[in-house]
Amino acid sequence: MDDGDPNEMIDQRLAHEFLQSPKGAKLLHCIQCGTCSGSCPLAESMDHAPRELFALLRDGEVQAVLASNTPWYCVSCYQCMVRCPQEIPVTDIMYALKQMAAERGLAPAGHKLPDLYRAFSREIEAHGRVSEALIMARYGARHPIDMLGKARLGLKLLARRRLELIPRNISNRTNLTLNANRPQCRKKF
Amino acid sequence: MPKKVLTYGFFPGCAYATAAGYRESVDAVNRRLGIDLVELADWNCCGATSAFSLNQDDALILTGRLFALAEAQGHAQIVTVCNACYTTLRKAAQMLEQGSPDLARVNAGLAREGLRLGRLLPVRHYLEILYADVPAEAWSAARPEYIGRIKVAAYYGCQLTRPWADLDHAERPALLDRFFRRLGFQAVEHSARTICCGASHALPYEKECRPMLRRIVEEARRRGAHLISTLCPLCQFNLDSLQTPPDAPPIPVPYFSQLAGLALGIPPQRLGFGKLLIPAESAIAKVV
Repeated sequence: MDDGDPNEMIDQRLAHEFLQSPKGAKLLHCIQCGTCSGSCPLAESMDHAPRELFALLRDGEVQAVLASNTPWYCVSCYQCMVRCPQEIPVTDIMYALKQMAAERGLAPAGHKLPDLYRAFSREIEAHGRVSEALIMARYGARHPIDMLGKARLGLKLLARRRLELIPRNISNRTNLTLNANRPQCRKKF
Repeated sequence: MPKKVLTYGFFPGCAYATAAGYRESVDAVNRRLGIDLVELADWNCCGATSAFSLNQDDALILTGRLFALAEAQGHAQIVTVCNACYTTLRKAAQMLEQGSPDLARVNAGLAREGLRLGRLLPVRHYLEILYADVPAEAWSAARPEYIGRIKVAAYYGCQLTRPWADLDHAERPALLDRFFRRLGFQAVEHSARTICCGASHALPYEKECRPMLRRIVEEARRRGAHLISTLCPLCQFNLDSLQTPPDAPPIPVPYFSQLAGLALGIPPQRLGFGKLLIPAESAIAKVV
């Protein structure tokens, strides 16, 4: 350990780790053409559109990348990924960044997708299958305003018998997780 | 009508149960055509985009368990009715190929309930079954004459044709259009076939996703489509629930299986049309 700026050291360590990983290494082929940003349906909402995010990553600004909302706005349409002339698995890199941020408790607090995904995962853990209504109930406990706006829609769905309010349990729910230390990881974000 | 029974392992996915008439229409079409979709016993959620966003190990055990169940239950193929299930399973299949470092860990997890991942069964979308496995003549036998006057915009959504799919071109697919023509409908040319609907982001970020939905709907309208038809529960839900165009009536969004049922002469009330949020009856009555 030298006495450099601790933030910079963390960045360097994370950048090294990420760019050494099989997916991260592919970023070294990025030619910064911007096809990914131009293809992204939600680029306008992102702190950094994908091309810019990859420039930051290669510059070693990993903490800024992990704290940004960009990977959480990725909607997994894979348009960038099928278009990238360098065959970089852009969407899968976004997944890797989300996993890295989630594991380290660095996911941006202001973004709502971590809460939605967590609600989804909790439903899977609890029942093995998910129902939209029950995910919404969990998510809505943290974001009641979003749910209020959906009250009329909820009634329409109810009238059409399209709300599933009783969970369907599978027989072997305890086996649906591999990662022993995950509860601890989850708590952080 | 073909009397030979076509049998498949069926992974319905979580959204199917509450989807607007999807199950009703798939069941009615299957009965008519002699297709037997055998539901995987004790199936679990595929994890969709959510599991892969948080933890790859969890995502792989969810998908790995489905492949192992299907194999243990003696199926030869897995059929899905949801774009997200389709892509998630096909993506996982590639990650869990023989020799992958993930395979051993997933198998160690599955062993706790006596399952083992051996052969990764092929994953197909129900559209492929209707298009490739059902003889083309089956669709014209009982076709009502009004079908030919209905213009449909085929909407594929994003995930169906993306990286791990082998059924069509990633950005300019034609399979669903060809299927609608085979059914006797007019499939309109349009440029919004694979524009993303916003998927699960449309709930927390509705404002941001509305331009995407508007682009799909306005393109269909500009091309004179009476209906937009989809093959994914999330696409259908977003297009059906978030269409609020200020200056034009909304365009109904039935499932492709509901249109398949109409072409077979099955009455709309037996195809779950009553479950759509935007009623389709008046749009259809206009051309009848």
